[in-house]
Amino acid sequence: MAGASKAWSPGRDVVRAEALSLQAKSEARLEPIVWGLFSLGGFITAFLLPVVILFLYLAVPLGVWPADRVGYEAMAALMADLLVQLFFLLLIAGSLFHGMHRLRHLLLDAGLESADAWLSFVLYGAAVIGSLVAFYYTILIHMPLPFP
Amino acid sequence: MAAKQVVFRVQRYRPDKRPRPYYQDYRIRYTDDMVVLDGLNVIKDAVDPTLTFRWSCRMGICGSCGANINGKPRLTCGTFIKDVVGPQVIVDPMPNFPILKDLVVDFDDFLDKLEETRPYLVRSKPKPLSDGEYRQTPAEVEAYRQYSMCINCMLCYAACPVYGASGHFLGPAALALAYRYIRDSRDRGGEERLARLSTKSGIWECTFVGECSVVCPKAVDPAGAIQNLKVLASMRTMRKLLMPKAVSR
Amino acid sequence: MPPRPYPWKRRRGWWLRNPHYLLFQAREVGGILTAIVGLILLYQVIQLQAGPDAYSAFLTIAFSPPMLGLMTVLLAFVLVHAVTWFMLLGKAQPIQLTAKPMSWRKVFAINLILWALVSIGVLYLIFGGP
Repeated sequence: MAGASKAWSPGRDVVRAEALSLQAKSEARLEPIVWGLFSLGGFITAFLLPVVILFLYLAVPLGVWPADRVGYEAMAALMADLLVQLFFLLLIAGSLFHGMHRLRHLLLDAGLESADAWLSFVLYGAAVIGSLVAFYYTILIHMPLPFP
Repeated sequence: MAAKQVVFRVQRYRPDKRPRPYYQDYRIRYTDDMVVLDGLNVIKDAVDPTLTFRWSCRMGICGSCGANINGKPRLTCGTFIKDVVGPQVIVDPMPNFPILKDLVVDFDDFLDKLEETRPYLVRSKPKPLSDGEYRQTPAEVEAYRQYSMCINCMLCYAACPVYGASGHFLGPAALALAYRYIRDSRDRGGEERLARLSTKSGIWECTFVGECSVVCPKAVDPAGAIQNLKVLASMRTMRKLLMPKAVSR
Repeated sequence: MPPRPYPWKRRRGWWLRNPHYLLFQAREVGGILTAIVGLILLYQVIQLQAGPDAYSAFLTIAFSPPMLGLMTVLLAFVLVHAVTWFMLLGKAQPIQLTAKPMSWRKVFAINLILWALVSIGVLYLIFGGP
């Protein structure tokens, strides 16, 4: 009977929830993976980003460091080190996956739920591309490879 | 005790009289030992018998009397008037639910979602009665005790902005209840439960706002339960990827 | 025929009416802005490869007053993200390492100390000291 309450009463038949879209109710494959990347990115950005912003972008304008500390020679010498290359790669990739995941959920919450497939493709795709570009410019570019 | 006065501004919804909700003010006397539910009952008994609201045990165990008091989801039986006098006390029905009448909301959706998480012990074969009871050590009980304290008051659903925006989020109480069974040593349905929760309308819709745990009158901490479920579900996904045959679907 | 239930509609600006919701939104925006910082870092690394002139041009913009303002705002939001991240870590302890779950305040304090140590480590190991 339409509008009948589903609260318990003696002799009530078991009621099933209305069928939702199959996608919303089948075990998610993408979600655990992007959540894991988001978590990793969260740790990386929380621990590493503040000190990097402070010294890379604020120390010179605020007069704490002389300008040549982050000048071309200094930075090029810094980036020759594999540890530094990995550091910046992790920072860039981590922040991209973290930020894109949060942006996707913000947009879903704002009402764009129906566009989720498209949103995931664009946002996580951007994170993947950004990470690959970062991999090239941090690690690959310093390795003796046949291609430029 | 000296009697003071307070104005209860209560949201009414009388579809037989007016098509939209409206506020009605009631001035009553109150004492320091009265809770908001007592105020509502004074109004119903002595001022306006048409005022409609749910309540039962008046001691915070039945979960019937949830409402928005000055904009916050609270149990009316657990909120002293003296603590919320502002000087008004604004009483609204719990948000995120359709309103049936006055402060009474329709929570059929909540009941459906509770059912979906299979909130009962799942075993491949139940023990025969002759084998006696299922035994648990105090430590095993402690593992899920906190999550078993839920009184189904729905304040967490009222506080959850994701539930408010989404048509199909399972919600804090249903997920905390599922976690309660996963943590119960007598339950054998853990993997299957996890598979049913690890969906886009299940744990992955939660963005850890955390307000559900703030408003819970029983300190169940559904937000913590959901985050734990996310970690467990992620571990399950890793196992599926690395050892696909070993994991049940 | 039973009367129609009145549907509930979430109001715009719902997150302005409760300080917890406001902090949640600030935290989410902070998380999104970490991606902006990541993109600026990426751009800096690319400009470094492009040579001294391109890199100097980048630095001139990066240290200009408007960018200084932007960076301060970004740092503020990144700090909100970091601090709320440490506060939330204690909420999920699915694998119990201690007899009883640790209170979130303890986990918060431990992570703040770790954060200070890691920051000092980054300063020395990556940037070569103060």
